[in-house]
Amino acid sequence: MRPLDVLWVGLGGGAGSLLRWWIGRLVGERYHGAFPLGTFLINVSGAFVIGYLSVLFSVDWRDRFGTILNAGVLTGILGGYTTFSSMQLDAAKLSGGGRPGLAAGYLLASTAVGLVAAALGAALARLQA
Amino acid sequence: MINLVILVFIGGAIGAMGREFLMLGVPELSDGFPMAILIANIVAAFLLGLVTGLHKRKVVTDDVNTMVGTGIMGGLSTFSSFAYGAVVLMTASASGAVVAIVYVLISLVLGYGAVLAGLKLGQSGATQPN
Repeated sequence: MRPLDVLWVGLGGGAGSLLRWWIGRLVGERYHGAFPLGTFLINVSGAFVIGYLSVLFSVDWRDRFGTILNAGVLTGILGGYTTFSSMQLDAAKLSGGGRPGLAAGYLLASTAVGLVAAALGAALARLQA
Repeated sequence: MINLVILVFIGGAIGAMGREFLMLGVPELSDGFPMAILIANIVAAFLLGLVTGLHKRKVVTDDVNTMVGTGIMGGLSTFSSFAYGAVVLMTASASGAVVAIVYVLISLVLGYGAVLAGLKLGQSGATQPN
């Protein structure tokens, strides 16, 4: 790993985090339900894109640096864009607010739909190969 | 507004680089279990809970909360690699599928426990756990 890889991961992580923050605000302005829709959409779309790009460019999922694509885009942008910690915080807030069923449903739905999205992204890339 | 953009960008950059260093430093397990991603996600969940709890008590400012919570912890944790890594493991072999299911369940349970523990610690004002 070279210093350049660290730079790409940092730049990508910053850009991805900004994108997450911006989309979270956009969704928050339009949707006011209890379900944490913003984080859900962000995580599912990020899972789809990482599956798609990894297969399209034949990047092993453990290969996370060395090129602009895996350091900057996969580890950086997509890693910064999606978030596991905010998903858990959303769930804890729902549960603390007297909605434990919705909290569990949200975690399970995020995970199940996220897994399907990653698999679909990979499948789409295979179709195009 | 521009200040928030800078805070989120710099925080996200720091978090993502921290995740990259974790991936370099944590040894790969022979069964393919994504230990580095698990550690990044659990640590980020705990610290996000902690800063959120401290922010509620106004121990930390809005700016610190945005930079650390939205930026650093969002950048350190990742859902995309979590989901894609699980899918790759799951489709590789029958034993890989078992590892993937264990990985997903452990991530969800420990992550949830970590964010609750962080919230509790941050809100309680105690400097030591329990």
